[in-house]
Amino acid sequence: MTRTASDAVIDTTTRRRLGFGFWVSVGWLFLIIGVAVLAPWLPIADPNETGYGGRLDGPGWAAWFGTDTNGRDMFSRTIWGARVSLTVGFIAIVDGILIGGTLGLIAGYFRGAADRVISFVFFALLSFPGLVLALLIIASLGSSLMVVSMTLGILSIAPVGRLARAATLTFAEREFVQAARVLGSTHRRIMVRELLPNVMIPMSALALLGMAITIVAEGGLAFLGLSVSDGFSWGKMILLGSSPRTLRNGPWVAMMPIGAMFLTVLALNFAGDRLRQYLDVRELAF
Amino acid sequence: MNGTVNGQPLLSVTDLRVGFATQRGLVRAVDGVSFDLFAGKTLGIVGESGSGKSVTAKTLMNLLPSYARVEGSVMFDGRDVRELAAQKEKHFWGVEMTMIFQDPMTSLNPVKKVGEQIAESLRVHLGRSRKEARDEAGDLLETVGIPEARKRLSQYPHELSGGLRQRVVIAMALACSPRLLIADEPTTALDVTVQKHILDLLDELREERGMAMILITHDLGVVKGRTDDIMVMYAGRTMEQADTATLFSTMRHPYTEALLETIPRIDMPSHTRLVPIPGRPPDLIDIAPGCPFAPRCRYSVDACVVECPSLEGHGTAHVCACHKPVGTEAGIAARAANEQQGTTPTGLDMGLFEGAGSRSGTGAGN
Amino acid sequence: MIRFLARRLVALFAVLLAVTALAFGSLNVLGDPLFNVVGFIASVDCDAVLAGEIEDISGQTAGGRGDCEVIQAARKEHRLDRALPVRYVLWLGDIVRGDFGTSFKNEMPVRQVLADKLPKSILLMTVAEVIGIVIAVPWAIVAAYRANRRFDRASTVTSFGLLAVPNFAMGIILFYFFVVRWQIFPSRFEDTDLAARLKSMVLPGLTLGLPLAATYQRLLRTDLITTLQEDFIQMARAKGMTDRWVMFRHALRPSLFSLVTVFGISTAGLIGGALVVEQIFSIPGIGRAVVEAVIRDDFPIVLGSVVVIATGFVVINFFVDIIYSLIDPRVRRDD
Repeated sequence: MTRTASDAVIDTTTRRRLGFGFWVSVGWLFLIIGVAVLAPWLPIADPNETGYGGRLDGPGWAAWFGTDTNGRDMFSRTIWGARVSLTVGFIAIVDGILIGGTLGLIAGYFRGAADRVISFVFFALLSFPGLVLALLIIASLGSSLMVVSMTLGILSIAPVGRLARAATLTFAEREFVQAARVLGSTHRRIMVRELLPNVMIPMSALALLGMAITIVAEGGLAFLGLSVSDGFSWGKMILLGSSPRTLRNGPWVAMMPIGAMFLTVLALNFAGDRLRQYLDVRELAF
Repeated sequence: MNGTVNGQPLLSVTDLRVGFATQRGLVRAVDGVSFDLFAGKTLGIVGESGSGKSVTAKTLMNLLPSYARVEGSVMFDGRDVRELAAQKEKHFWGVEMTMIFQDPMTSLNPVKKVGEQIAESLRVHLGRSRKEARDEAGDLLETVGIPEARKRLSQYPHELSGGLRQRVVIAMALACSPRLLIADEPTTALDVTVQKHILDLLDELREERGMAMILITHDLGVVKGRTDDIMVMYAGRTMEQADTATLFSTMRHPYTEALLETIPRIDMPSHTRLVPIPGRPPDLIDIAPGCPFAPRCRYSVDACVVECPSLEGHGTAHVCACHKPVGTEAGIAARAANEQQGTTPTGLDMGLFEGAGSRSGTGAGN
Repeated sequence: MIRFLARRLVALFAVLLAVTALAFGSLNVLGDPLFNVVGFIASVDCDAVLAGEIEDISGQTAGGRGDCEVIQAARKEHRLDRALPVRYVLWLGDIVRGDFGTSFKNEMPVRQVLADKLPKSILLMTVAEVIGIVIAVPWAIVAAYRANRRFDRASTVTSFGLLAVPNFAMGIILFYFFVVRWQIFPSRFEDTDLAARLKSMVLPGLTLGLPLAATYQRLLRTDLITTLQEDFIQMARAKGMTDRWVMFRHALRPSLFSLVTVFGISTAGLIGGALVVEQIFSIPGIGRAVVEAVIRDDFPIVLGSVVVIATGFVVINFFVDIIYSLIDPRVRRDD
């Protein structure tokens, strides 16, 4: 009864639209993924070819992003660096969604003891500062692409799982799930056929935001010299460009991968945030 | 008006228009409303949600969002209220004129003690010291009939029941002895048993303090027998306005009649059907010509869709905006014709009203 | 309130146990604890050597002490002959008594290393939080007061941008401009006096504090906008309170809840950030120590630092919970 004209105004101004910025972000993501995948076939320099140009040549026609201290082409390296960064980010968040999503689904569907145990595991995982936990695991297992990806995957289990649990809790009470139960569907069938598709919807927004976080986390590890030892990611490139002398004489060595990373993270964050608003997901606590 | 007081009205609203600019266009929330209110008198503003009654109140209280467009004049005891708003006058609202809201659960700040919230006005507007303000706040709580008033001062709102909270809200509003109190659905959110207590309390306080009051409600039953005058609003416009007794004895507007049929009354035969008003209030952006109530009105004739009726006098101090007023020959004929045809010119199914209280002939309820 | 505190304390200890078990477990299960202590000779098959099946070839070079003696000594010292849960409990006992072991590198007690490094990291994080809050609160208030106007839109864009800059990138950008180009700030930590220490902390503090400010701003702005639409705000306005009074006396406090919650959670990001920032600005804090220790396989330092960091994080979040209940009287009810 209190709904006045001013309430109606708020209704009309909050539009359910993804908007222009969302599509720009998605466009950038497709572009960067495209060039990363196609890097071996693109007409670009060999990223490891020392002396492609002079030492620390500035950006120009020959080398769009300049060259590094060994004369390697930064443009080519930025594209190749994307391969590692994006791969790690992708594997990690897929891991997180598989493990965390399953645990969250189980906790939210069965409740009771399973829920208490799983929720405590999530809570304990969240009680550990993320990068420190990653450090511990990598200290023990070394730093191959798989270990780094899995480690970052473990870090995303708890936030993903909590969202999955919350979503499952709300959907498990809905009519269509109750109906399936009454009709005698097995638990597994209900979880896979009825709940999973619905839980996946808010998950898509989380996947984008989570990928941004894992890419940054990998960058942090790489910057500490603790990430993927075979190959280089944006983080490692930034590390290589970060000595005061290189910064003074060739800031582009650090700034180009920083720029690429910034745009990618920005695009992931923005697209994820728009998607979250569009899908009206509230309990995103990454 | 009934019980006229000599001299100037305390509050005089003339041709008030309020619009909200939105992406779809201008929402005309209030569209040409005028009324006078004399000191110590009570005006009831009645209408469904979206009728513009709350926006009218918020306009008086300078509570509209900044994108609202306001036209018309609002005079309070010779002062131009819109001018006061423009000058950011600090000691007018809350001192001369104040307002209470529908839901006492949300009208109080959850993280401030009750005492602080009452004392605040006293300290800000009247410059009382902390201790003076606290003492006066205690007195106010006693005035509004709260037991163990002193103890309540240091309690948080969540520790009080709904009825007590609304009393606290009233105490807050009364702190600086305002001359006009606007009560926006003050009892809608409360239990039926508590509603009457709160309304009686408001009446008492108004009487004691010679305060004028605007009582806003969607429920004609709330204002019956309580207010001096009633204004019925629909789609931002005044539909009918009269003193309370006249309005209930000889209502002229089909909307007023329809509103009355939505509330149960003790004197109704036991199986009288309560008739909800069919349809919804109109969109306030693309306003069609004609009477805004026509699509929902069982008295409507072709003219109602084309031409908007203006307010016309029906006896002393009774105005109504209708081409075929209830209880007039024209009205009776129009309704009979519609009943015979089964639908109105706007396509409303007359069958929806079957079994309603048989008030069609006289317009007077009992 | 007392029952509330008791429940929280029980939860605190449960989480502390879980966290220490996680740290101890991952180093002892994922890695080979013997290898961590003695290095590559851990792979020598001592049972076979003792049985005389194979020859101990190390004795000649290592001053008469065979690999197997070293290994046995290490097993005993580090209780490797005991079962893992027993070792965990004993280790926990040591930690509680303040015995964190000694560094492999220079035989320094880990406790002493921590005592030396920790204050610098704490200073860094404090500076970062102060910068974050000092920027975020006024920023959010102005943005929320004129929500969706020009300033608010510009600040949304700005905070989105700030949040997309990883902290190592932010550190390098600041380092590049303020240290390399303009030479306003020192390139490494200067520990001469408090003023020098604080000056050395400006850039690292900004590196961590700016994204923090963006996070806080966005949260507080959203909560303020929600609060400002509440009925009690209308009520306060109807009482004739000025905009400023309404904002500071009515809207701000009920809007702080998310901020306080996130203050605790964001410490995790801050700790991770400190690892990186201490590298860039050469701050001899615990983050730098732990990274070096990981690279050098100096496990007592790694474990000790991790336990201290994780404990600190958990305890901070415990206090955040308590503070939360203090600012929101509704939480305090025992039901």
